[in-house]
Amino acid sequence: MLQIDTADSVPIWKQIEEEVRRLIALGGFPPGTAVPSVRELAQRLRINPATVAKAYQRLTDAGVLTVRRGEGTFVSDDPVIPSAQDRDEALASGARRYAAVTTTVGASEREAVAALRDALAEMKPRRSHR
Amino acid sequence: MSEPAVLDVKDVSIRYGRRAVLDSVSFSVSKGSVYAMLGRNGAGKSSLVRALLGVQRPEKGRITTFGLSAWDDRVAVMARIGFVPEEADVEKQMSVGQLIDFQRAIYSRWDESVINRRLERLAIGRRRSFKTLSKGESRQVLFTLALATQPDLLILDDPTLGLDAVSRKEFYDEFLGELAERRTTTFITTHDLSGVEGIADRIGILGDGRLLLDEELESVKGRFRKIRRVAGAAPASGNLLHATRWGEWVEEVVDDFDSGQTDHAEATPMSLEEIFLAMVGQEEKR
Repeated sequence: MLQIDTADSVPIWKQIEEEVRRLIALGGFPPGTAVPSVRELAQRLRINPATVAKAYQRLTDAGVLTVRRGEGTFVSDDPVIPSAQDRDEALASGARRYAAVTTTVGASEREAVAALRDALAEMKPRRSHR
Repeated sequence: MSEPAVLDVKDVSIRYGRRAVLDSVSFSVSKGSVYAMLGRNGAGKSSLVRALLGVQRPEKGRITTFGLSAWDDRVAVMARIGFVPEEADVEKQMSVGQLIDFQRAIYSRWDESVINRRLERLAIGRRRSFKTLSKGESRQVLFTLALATQPDLLILDDPTLGLDAVSRKEFYDEFLGELAERRTTTFITTHDLSGVEGIADRIGILGDGRLLLDEELESVKGRFRKIRRVAGAAPASGNLLHATRWGEWVEEVVDDFDSGQTDHAEATPMSLEEIFLAMVGQEEKR
């Protein structure tokens, strides 16, 4: 469910951070839901627990997750929407990746935009689950 | 990093006869981190591990572990190291329980609960003899013994070599569980590059006795790229490791990528395995 790519150049803690935010935004982790423990997530993704802990710490500092002592880590009651700057950055970096694909396959700008519109349309039903 | 080095290897050279198996190797492993040493067979990994364990005296240089000399203070150093060998040096008739009794007598910080918990989880009985254990089980028992000593430094010598996918997963589960619980400083040699890709904080690459790379994995990942461009376009400006021509396309590997240089080209990150192959392959062409 939470997917990362250890071969990518984006630091793994950052990938986890973005994935958790994404899953929350998609409605998959409603407020108050427990997230996997550091140990569990490290074992499942086969990554260093310190990396998971770093991502959780950043998410906690940002108000997205809340630690309840002795109970675990939970999605905050009011998870903070990413800052405008984070949001712009995420959008731009995703766009660059997609632009690289369109160049590789030699798609025109019109084709690229049409494919993006289709992909967005496919996402819509999932968004309405919120 | 501000954490003190648990293990510090300085200018270590080892030769067998006239052949240098390690040539001025220096690196250090900071507290709580995982250092993965990669290299082809015969690159010098085994000699290095023997030197870390104080059974091979370097001809030149020094190895300092917990502030002590690996060679001169071998007993004191080894009491705090948990070592998992590539091949079990155990009498085949011996039972798991006998080996546990033997080790318990040697180590002062022995924690029997580690043994109980792990053997139960692995479903391995104490009465089993080593000859009835699979390779994966035998490696797990040795790993369990190493953890029961509550080591300050784990040295794992190619721990997944020869294991099937299930045993490999079991090994990583146990290893990551230990890191989650105790953040044990670890030095690991391995051929399983994809296995350690998400675990190692720092990596070293040994090639023909020399340390070709010693760097934080995150920074290595940041600077290596495969760049694909049309043959006629301007070449990548970075330090070119090698280039392959593929029809009208050229694929180049650079080791000092910065994102400003990719106009009209596609840059993709490289896996640890690709980086390893690019570095070791480059070295052997010299």
